[in-house]
Amino acid sequence: MMRIVKMIFLIMLLWLIGSETVMAQKVLEFHPSYGKDLVYLADSSYQSNDEDSITITQFRFYISDIELWNDKNKTWEEHNFHLINANEYQTLRISLAIPDDIVYDKIKFKLGIDSLTNVSGAMGGDLDPMKGMYWTWQSGYINVKLEGNSPLCKTRNNAFEFHLGGYHTPFNCLKTVTLPIIKSDNIKLYIDLKKALSSINLKMTNQIMTPSKLAVDISEKIAKAFETRL
Amino acid sequence: MKKTIVVLLLFGFAICAFKEIRGIYFRYPSYWPKPIYNFNKNQLTTEKTFLGRVLFYDPILSKDSNISCASCHSQHTAFSQINHSYSKGINHQIGKRNAPALINLAWNSSFMWDGAVNNLEMQALAPMSNPTEMNETIGHVADKMKHTTIYPKLFYKAFGDSAINGERVLKCITQFMLSLVSCHSKYDSVMEKQAKFTQQEERGYLLFKKNCSSCHKEPLFTNDKFENDGLPINKTLNDVGRMLITHDSANYLQFRVPTLRNIQISYPYMHDGRFSNLVQVLNHYTKGIVRSNSLAKPLLKPILLTNNDKKNLIAFLSTLSDTTFITEKQYSFPVFVN
Repeated sequence: MMRIVKMIFLIMLLWLIGSETVMAQKVLEFHPSYGKDLVYLADSSYQSNDEDSITITQFRFYISDIELWNDKNKTWEEHNFHLINANEYQTLRISLAIPDDIVYDKIKFKLGIDSLTNVSGAMGGDLDPMKGMYWTWQSGYINVKLEGNSPLCKTRNNAFEFHLGGYHTPFNCLKTVTLPIIKSDNIKLYIDLKKALSSINLKMTNQIMTPSKLAVDISEKIAKAFETRL
Repeated sequence: MKKTIVVLLLFGFAICAFKEIRGIYFRYPSYWPKPIYNFNKNQLTTEKTFLGRVLFYDPILSKDSNISCASCHSQHTAFSQINHSYSKGINHQIGKRNAPALINLAWNSSFMWDGAVNNLEMQALAPMSNPTEMNETIGHVADKMKHTTIYPKLFYKAFGDSAINGERVLKCITQFMLSLVSCHSKYDSVMEKQAKFTQQEERGYLLFKKNCSSCHKEPLFTNDKFENDGLPINKTLNDVGRMLITHDSANYLQFRVPTLRNIQISYPYMHDGRFSNLVQVLNHYTKGIVRSNSLAKPLLKPILLTNNDKKNLIAFLSTLSDTTFITEKQYSFPVFVN
């Protein structure tokens, strides 16, 4: 009896080691930030220390079609949808099964949900409308939700609310982000919300809830706030 | 002995097969076009359709558990709400548009009067979340359902495990909505050569084909498009219709062309329920058309109808009423043993 148990244990151990060497789990980390500060919202909102005195209360977004590129060649890809939510730490890390021998110097992904998925009906997992990232009065996923307060906003509680989405031209908000990376076990991506928010005229633009030209513009600004700090 | 077993087995299979088919009401006449809905990702089963039916009649979908889908879409009026131009939501709030009849939805490529919803599976989210209708969220509805005794059981029966999530809720409601096929009107019997129009109905049919059928296309009696039917805008609502969705002035005052099936029993009429009977509707088309750049092309030429023509036309429209549809037990309030 004992021998069988030992055998099984050994086989399992070998299998574990074997799989480890072939398919390393790389972790893609998302670090929402405000300049140099990190913006984690699980326990409370984030309050900036600068003269803008901005508060961020909610930040979540969809990432899809992650690809790795080496120079001009695509070396790895997956076709999943990930909902990243600064209010939920566990969503800030995505495990990717990337073989060890893959070489790459760039990461490419989409910020948002493509138009085909937007018209494909009810879906589960991160795409389940229960996640609160789906417009109900008008079909379509919300690619990015960014909410907070700024003294510049002459709104109730000085709030700004950006719900960015839309899959129809001319208001298609899907953006592709390409960033240089160095091969390592953890790929760290930063999203500098200070960079994004300071490029928006918050006095004029503080409420976006529908697909529109403004939604496209601000989606572009959020896409540009992604960076790797090499 | 062997023979008996074989016969019993065959009988058993027959019962199983019969049960499977009996529960699913998705059949349509052979001369109809193919449905638009993609059934591959949401294959109809008796259990899922039944679960959808339970959901359709359950006010658990609303914030204060007072309003169900059936509140504004009742079977005996072809899943519309008669006598109400605008339907009542929770806290006695009133919406801006008339609750449409739910008929032959598998053939629609978009939903709601302005086409705001792009897939039948997402349609239920709109009334569920609208603050003037049910004012709920799908997440909270799923949570409430988890704490009932009946829903985990029904989900287990339908999916093989009792997990309740948004995708499953929406797909089941969709299955029930898909089952709402109206194809047993007198018109259908005539088309299948099992009945004949009366002289008056026949005259009405000819008038219909001449004046109405380019938008209300047979056999579904809609072209599945958006048109401006020349109604003057209601200044207290300022509802610009499809333009709300597209931001394109070409879509100003365009609304979905509704089916005319069961039209006689699903009054009041038009997107805002402004007309209470069919004579008023026909009077609008003969002398009420307001011209604008987005007016439906077929309405550019005046429609001329005598009073007698109108009577004949209405006689034809009444052949689109489907008694089987409004009395079918598979669509009614589900009574089941818990």
